[in-house]
Amino acid sequence: MSLSLDIALRRGAFALSVQGTLPERGVTILFGESGAGKSSLLRAVAGLEPCQGRIEFDGERWQGRAGMLPAHRRPVGLMLQKPTLFPHLDVTGNLRYAARRATMSGQRLPAQRWEEVLELLSLAPLLPRRVQGLSGGEASRVALGRALLSAPRLLLLDEPLAALDQARRQALMEVIGRVAKTIPVLYVSHHLDEVLTLGEHLWWLRDGALAAQGEVNDVLAGPGSPLAEHRDAAVVLRTRHLRYEQDHHLLVLALGACEVRVPASGPGGDTPRLRVAARDVSLTLSPASDSSVLNILPAVVDDVRSLPQGQCLVRLRCEQQWLLARLSSYSRDRLRLAPGSRVHAQIKAAALV
Amino acid sequence: MLAAGDTLALWVSVKLALITTVILLVLCTPLAWWLARRFRPGQALLESLLALPLVLPPTVLGFYLLLFLGPDGPGGWLGPLLERPGLAFSFAGLVIGSVVYSLPFVLQPLKNAFAAIDKDVLDMAAAAGAGPLDRFFSVVLPLARPGYLSAAVLGFAHTLGEFGVVLMIGGSIAGETRVASVALYEHVEAGDYASAQRLALVLVVMSLVLLWAVFRWQKKARGPL
Repeated sequence: MSLSLDIALRRGAFALSVQGTLPERGVTILFGESGAGKSSLLRAVAGLEPCQGRIEFDGERWQGRAGMLPAHRRPVGLMLQKPTLFPHLDVTGNLRYAARRATMSGQRLPAQRWEEVLELLSLAPLLPRRVQGLSGGEASRVALGRALLSAPRLLLLDEPLAALDQARRQALMEVIGRVAKTIPVLYVSHHLDEVLTLGEHLWWLRDGALAAQGEVNDVLAGPGSPLAEHRDAAVVLRTRHLRYEQDHHLLVLALGACEVRVPASGPGGDTPRLRVAARDVSLTLSPASDSSVLNILPAVVDDVRSLPQGQCLVRLRCEQQWLLARLSSYSRDRLRLAPGSRVHAQIKAAALV
Repeated sequence: MLAAGDTLALWVSVKLALITTVILLVLCTPLAWWLARRFRPGQALLESLLALPLVLPPTVLGFYLLLFLGPDGPGGWLGPLLERPGLAFSFAGLVIGSVVYSLPFVLQPLKNAFAAIDKDVLDMAAAAGAGPLDRFFSVVLPLARPGYLSAAVLGFAHTLGEFGVVLMIGGSIAGETRVASVALYEHVEAGDYASAQRLALVLVVMSLVLLWAVFRWQKKARGPL
């Protein structure tokens, strides 16, 4: 438990009241509609937005009855949607600004950290450039580099990739994922894509309160999940690498006792995560042996929920993990699906994330 | 070239303008910051009060200052600090008068410069570990540099050209309160147009050179953008 908070803040008609804890490391996505209070919450954690209540990090009290620790004393790295670089400094100056003020548990920032960050974000060629001449992607890299060079013990990102194209997003998401192996990252997003790719944990903010928090799948598939009606509703399955079948370009993964095959160009990592969209899952009552679908998994219906326009969302338990299937309510009635029904889930498409 | 005493008057003018400008830059920095960053109750009234020298006839201002700084005025206690009965008709009194008179010309550019600074930039500086003073010197000051330059030039030039206030509270004591504009007025009164011509020309050239230098510098500082 790294960050734990119980805060309230009020700005005119808007009120935010949040109790939550952040895991030791990994990306926690702070998800919600615009206006839900995501940025205010992030700013409160950074110490930039006064609020009432209690914020604790690693046993240090950042906010409490004794007052608040000012923003510059909190070991956070911050990155906003717009890169917000210091306009009067060049790239080197921007990075050094953070590095010079950074201390790691009272010690000066080691020089190798500077090299690491430069390497991680390929910043070296940008160093002498003026910030005004940077492209959007370059500016974002510098901003993330600056955040990392402040030697943060908690990284706060407010839609950091919103202005970037898909390729640059992917590259930066990878960097953020790597950083999250050592420190906790709180990541504001309203992109389901980012939730499913990056998120291990999810804080669901709605109308200024946490509607749900927990492991991504539990929140996405959980009862009353606000995602259910989203056309991209999906879950992310945790799997284990088994082997790579060169002939068919297929990666074979273990999902509990079952094997799952996904097209891939190479072996990939040890614990790949599979994103399965609800609309890519169909159900049969008996296992079809004559289907072209690669993956057919036994599952038990946990819950059936009606959606508008003759659709329904079926939540399945499959090898101790949640799976979502989106069907027509006609199919539901024809197959007589109800909690407890044993079915076979045909996964028509899955993507490695 | 210049009439006897005019060089001294010019020197008094420049000294007065320099001292006034320095005092105003220091004084107006926190004031402008406070006014630029948030709106507080009573702020409109305070700002009107501070802008009053812009619209008031200088003689009105000078008259009140005269009463204020005289031995019996509410500011009379300032005199003994400098071992005089009161500050009226002294250089120190002139400085106080000039500070009041030129204040809006320094305050306004600083306020605009501060208001133009993106609050997010300051937040990023705080998140990067910079405390309030550090943020001021490492971010606010460099970003507000053009504002400081405008403020300094306007404050200096406006003090250099002041006449009404000086006449009311300073009189014309050579080497003490006799500034260039007053000297010029006295030449004209005495019908010595030749001396007046020369002194006026010096003032015009001085002001022009000052403004030219600033505009050039500002263009350069802004760069090719």
